[in-house]
Amino acid sequence: MNEMKKTAITLSVNNETYDIVAFPNRTLLEVLRDDLHLTGTKESCGEGVCGSCTVLIDGTPVRSCLTLAVAVQGKEITTIEGLSMGEKLHPVQEAFVNHHAIQCGFCSPGMILTSYALLAENPNPTEKEIRRAISGNVCRCTGYAKIVEAVKSLAEEGK
Amino acid sequence: MEKFSYIGKGMKRIDTACKATGEALFAADLALPRMLVGKVLRSPHAHARIVAIDTAKAEKLPGVKAVLTAKDTFGDKWGVFKYTQDQQFLPTEKVRYVGEEVAAVAAVDEDTALEALSLIDVTYEVLPAVYTIEDALAPGAPQLHDVYPNNLNIHVFINVGDVEKGFTHSHLVREDTFSAPEDSYFQGEPYAVAAQFDHAGNLEIWMPNAGPHLKAKPLSNVLKMPLNKVRVRKITIGGAFGGRSEISPADVICAFLAKKAQRPVKIVYSREENTVCTRQAHSMIAKIKTGVDKEGRVVARDITCHMDGGAYSSTGPIATSVPFLCMEQAYRMENVRYNGYRVLTNKPIRGMFRTHGRAFACGVDIQLDMIGEALGIDPLTMRLRNARQTGDTTPTKSYVASCGLTETIEKTGKKSRWAEKFGRLPPYHGIGIGCNSVQTGFPMGIRGGSQAFIKLNEDGGVTVITGIVDNGQGNDHMIVQIAAEELGLTPDDVQLINADTEVTPSDPGSYSMCETFIGGNAVLLAAQDVKKKLFRIVADEFGVSAEQLSAKNRKIFVTKDPQQEMSIAKAVRMALTRNESISGEGSYWPKVDWRREWVKNPSGQLSETFSFGTVICEVKVDPETGQVEVLEVTASQDVGYALNPKVIEGQFEGGVAMGGQGGMLTEYLQWYEGRVLTPTQLGYLVPLAIDMPTINNIIVETIDPKGPYGAKEAGMSVAMSAAQAYCGAISNAVGVYFHEYPITPDKILKAIEEKKKQERKG
Repeated sequence: MNEMKKTAITLSVNNETYDIVAFPNRTLLEVLRDDLHLTGTKESCGEGVCGSCTVLIDGTPVRSCLTLAVAVQGKEITTIEGLSMGEKLHPVQEAFVNHHAIQCGFCSPGMILTSYALLAENPNPTEKEIRRAISGNVCRCTGYAKIVEAVKSLAEEGK
Repeated sequence: MEKFSYIGKGMKRIDTACKATGEALFAADLALPRMLVGKVLRSPHAHARIVAIDTAKAEKLPGVKAVLTAKDTFGDKWGVFKYTQDQQFLPTEKVRYVGEEVAAVAAVDEDTALEALSLIDVTYEVLPAVYTIEDALAPGAPQLHDVYPNNLNIHVFINVGDVEKGFTHSHLVREDTFSAPEDSYFQGEPYAVAAQFDHAGNLEIWMPNAGPHLKAKPLSNVLKMPLNKVRVRKITIGGAFGGRSEISPADVICAFLAKKAQRPVKIVYSREENTVCTRQAHSMIAKIKTGVDKEGRVVARDITCHMDGGAYSSTGPIATSVPFLCMEQAYRMENVRYNGYRVLTNKPIRGMFRTHGRAFACGVDIQLDMIGEALGIDPLTMRLRNARQTGDTTPTKSYVASCGLTETIEKTGKKSRWAEKFGRLPPYHGIGIGCNSVQTGFPMGIRGGSQAFIKLNEDGGVTVITGIVDNGQGNDHMIVQIAAEELGLTPDDVQLINADTEVTPSDPGSYSMCETFIGGNAVLLAAQDVKKKLFRIVADEFGVSAEQLSAKNRKIFVTKDPQQEMSIAKAVRMALTRNESISGEGSYWPKVDWRREWVKNPSGQLSETFSFGTVICEVKVDPETGQVEVLEVTASQDVGYALNPKVIEGQFEGGVAMGGQGGMLTEYLQWYEGRVLTPTQLGYLVPLAIDMPTINNIIVETIDPKGPYGAKEAGMSVAMSAAQAYCGAISNAVGVYFHEYPITPDKILKAIEEKKKQERKG
């Protein structure tokens, strides 16, 4: 560790530019949470299985715990903090709240971003497509029923 | 006019918007000025004597601010009960499982902390270890603790009626053994704790908990600090499921590190640490002998259950009792004997778990199916004939004030079209049913009641102060919903201060499903106290009696003449001009038998009321692969009264996922000796969205005479019935009863193969 040198990293997160100095082995998750204080992105498994650390990189959901911060320079990173519009919730966030898709809330940031990305790509997903899309995000509380309902409600609104 | 403005409505939760935006802070999200990173050194051995610990090199590493070993602590042994005080948070003599805490460091960053751990030299003398119940009980087995001969930690013995006579008079008797390995909580949030001491030496500490007061007292004991100087603060909690009710070594270690370093310290567990070093659920072997009459009614039952408790007592006496107590609540059984043995092994510590033992619950329920088949009675009818009824008394002497079990069975059966399906489904399709019941609190001594305060603000809004904690299930919302309803305010008018031991009064915690019944009742009484005082002011003004008034929409009005009204804000100001300040207080102590004790006296009123649930599951089994496709699940519970039906549905659905889908199909810890091989979601398969079937929810309301608005609890009986329904369905599909859980594809294929062999023979 001592031989490794810190390096300058420029990240674009939620339309803001951040210049930091960090070791090149730092994951995007660590940098977001520890350096940028964007703690809405959560760590649950730390090995790319559970989806709690999901962020969007150029619109695509990515595990930030498996992504090195140095590797995503020049790309647009969206975290859960970048989704709401001022005091107003983003429609996906609002649907999650209104449909009781959130219990403990630990998986919610990742789940919401994955759902957002799904709807951006496929505005009218079927239930099966929704379930498939969010199956990389583990929720221990809800049994997923209300999460699926929330995403479905947005699909139906889009019709 | 509708009776209620908020109660009974599926209104959105007050705490979820900030979770949707990522603003809600969990313990790992806290960043305090000058905060250090804490890390724990853990035992690589399942059983070893600690000969020496050398921390000199670690202490010299630049950036290390504190190194902690047992000699920095007072060495007291802690236990939930006086008779189970057996755990030191940093052991002085020996380690008893792989992962047990040995030392800890606080350093300026994670890399330095980890490097420091690698510089601590621990000399161990490795001891022989035991990893199974059988080995632990064998003559000459290595002993974990001096105080528990033969590694027998707890023996719960219950004997009611005349079991032997019951068997003699039975029409049919059968005995079966059921078993399951350990399951795991897998809360979304890995355990994390942050601690700091203020200038006056008060400890402030944040961690996931199922009861801040349940954390504060043991912390004050082991830190030898007055209780009033220990301040467990409120923090968002990422799930508990029974696993976060006790003090954790991490809490104590973090506090000691913060004290030694004189700086804030945060310890964040890895997923592996959360699985191995917090709590696990007991593995168990349940031997069940049941005798019935010709109609399938249980005449006598004898249960012997051995539970692997791991290295320490934890909540052992409770955990050894509850699987039985739930079932004695759910089903009538006059002559019953229960021997529950909790055995110690060199494995991680086992605590209370939401589903309280699938081998036990499935054992009782699936045996009813087996008996029913022999008698020509279908499983649903077997449940109806044995179901607990309102006004009954359980074998261990709990009066059941309200019971909707029969209604849940009937409604679940109707919705799932049981009568059309059972015995009439195509090959490898099956349908199964399970029932269970849970308590709404236990006799918990001086921490068994809850108290709430309500402060009226000048603008007519209120601040509710209560010890109730929210683990994710919606307790914060429940408090606000009750206060808003009772006071005629909107949820926006209600501010909440809760789960902070400095400012909130005592509360049992979100434990044993008591927060709605006990904590909710305290909030309700506090709100009624405030309302009474406000009504007195308004009654004086209008020249009416207080009984003639109502409160709704931020107004107090004459019920029969709503035009005569006054805003609550004005009533508050009038009170102040009369030099009267208004606040409310409520406390609720459940009517339970305080003499009841888990081991010494397991008899008397256990809980003031009980919930009851039924789950029916329909599956299709692929005989080539052994894969189970779950087609539909119907879940029903007598919740007393549904304060918020949407919250309750969420509990049902989550309970089916954990208890049925995960608990019966995929979830179990795998081991090599005392080492967990599957500590992460990669190997321990929790259900995913794509796995989950359609779930029909049926809420049954019996309006409990004592519950707040008649409410009991919101979904545990469903969580505890799901495994049996899944098991029954798979057994029905394959034509073989399963005795070992979870029912993984290899077991299904083996069962199909054996069955074919038998058929060829026959």
